[in-house]
Amino acid sequence: MEHNQRERSELHEVLQGSGERPDRSLVITRRTFLHRSLLTGTAGAAAYGWFPLINTLDLALGAQQGFKFAWISDTHLYPKDVNTRFVDKAVRATKEVIAMRPAADFLMFGGDLAQLGDPVELDLGNEILKEVKIKKYFIPGEHDWYLDMGQRWTKLFGQPNWTFDHKGVRFVGLDTVSRGPDYWTAKKMSPKERMGHMATLDGSVAGAWAGVGRDQLEWLGKTLSDWRKDAPVVVFSHNPLYEYYPPWNFWVRDWREVNEVLRPFTNVTNIHGHTHQVLYNELGKMRSIGMLATSWPWPYAPQGVPALTKCMVRADPGDHFDGVGWSSLTLTAANKVENEYVMWRKDVLAEAATDSGCADNVNQETHPRVADQAWPYYGAYK
Amino acid sequence: MKIARYGFVAAGAFLGLMMISQALAHKAKHSPEQLKAFEDVFMEQVRLGDLLFHGDEAAQKKLGVQLSKTGMACAMCHPFGTDVHPHEFPKFQEQIGQFATLRDMINWCVEKPNEGVKLEPDSPAMKALETYIYYSNRGSTLDPGRH
Repeated sequence: MEHNQRERSELHEVLQGSGERPDRSLVITRRTFLHRSLLTGTAGAAAYGWFPLINTLDLALGAQQGFKFAWISDTHLYPKDVNTRFVDKAVRATKEVIAMRPAADFLMFGGDLAQLGDPVELDLGNEILKEVKIKKYFIPGEHDWYLDMGQRWTKLFGQPNWTFDHKGVRFVGLDTVSRGPDYWTAKKMSPKERMGHMATLDGSVAGAWAGVGRDQLEWLGKTLSDWRKDAPVVVFSHNPLYEYYPPWNFWVRDWREVNEVLRPFTNVTNIHGHTHQVLYNELGKMRSIGMLATSWPWPYAPQGVPALTKCMVRADPGDHFDGVGWSSLTLTAANKVENEYVMWRKDVLAEAATDSGCADNVNQETHPRVADQAWPYYGAYK
Repeated sequence: MKIARYGFVAAGAFLGLMMISQALAHKAKHSPEQLKAFEDVFMEQVRLGDLLFHGDEAAQKKLGVQLSKTGMACAMCHPFGTDVHPHEFPKFQEQIGQFATLRDMINWCVEKPNEGVKLEPDSPAMKALETYIYYSNRGSTLDPGRH
């Protein structure tokens, strides 16, 4: 752990460069967080904490006119006869996106629609999201992919990577999940076993699976080759495009190469899911925003939470709607973007270190699992 | 009479010797084989607890327990046992509304978020879960009562 931390810190220093920041016009201020529940009609509401300017990113430089889009991800749907809790929350997020006024230009779904890649789960998610009539874009999560290696997902949602321009902004969807190294053949795993291991965040059997891949890096470079270097680029990825706590597979293993491709561009924002928590990071000229899940919140990692992150408060495990939600992003005519975390409970972001989810884990030292070393894994206790 | 007295003395001497030998045995240095045996017993509990914590069906079936009815597993909110904080128990636990031990909290999580079947406090499954949680958090500063 300490070795990882040291290595990450050194790499960060090398890549960050002296005095390099995403955009000079980005002003870190504080802003009141507004809790809002559209479904129950208690819009507006009170201030419960502060967080640094995830809100006023200078994202839409050159945007022709203001617009809004919505982000939902990490619904982790089980079949209804197993667990309706996550279904209810996905439905709630969907209804709230539909209720947006003015309507969002599009909905971005950031991966992990399903929990175990079951076609029943993917079909259920597709049915729920069908209610949203605006344009929808999808990228996959590992939970969507490894039961049938993406067959059902691509049938429902098409290519896992894509690009489009919208009102002066180039949007790119990256597939960071489908290139997991083959750890299953040698162990003669069934598809269900493979999916089970891929669905375990802190498992070591699947290895470092998240990656963009050489071919997609080339595609990304070509995709951006005709784009002005100072024009806004928004890259959607399921996993963060930086190294955040490798033992939990929060990272993309070829993040350095991704950063090299994006380095010439001065206004890059990466919006990602997967980590199920409020995160903010800067690497070179790229800023990354971590979005919430609708399903459940992960705790912050014991080490390596980006220094600029203002952590959300540790969620109450007895409250299924605590620490979860979705996001509404508004690109204003003044070339600013407001990212509002639409969280379903109050007291979710902390001003002080006390009671924040980060401070909560500083007295903790955790260690990797040992059961993964036993094989055969399944059935060991039959 | 004399014989009886000798008998008592002999029995007393025997018991005394037994106690001394027990005490000496307890103080004797553990052999590498003994230490390995202790370690094996402990690590087996860690492995079993690890599997239970990660929702392994075979392990649950073997012990006759059902830790979740929602598909959720402990590790889905607590990777590596993070945010479990065993070193902070016992403490007043807000969700339970009472002074609680780690075992109380494990059972609360099984029953409430996971909607599973509560464990007997001294059951093998509870001991294994407790072992895994402590092992995962070894090195954390002992801080009972902390919130």
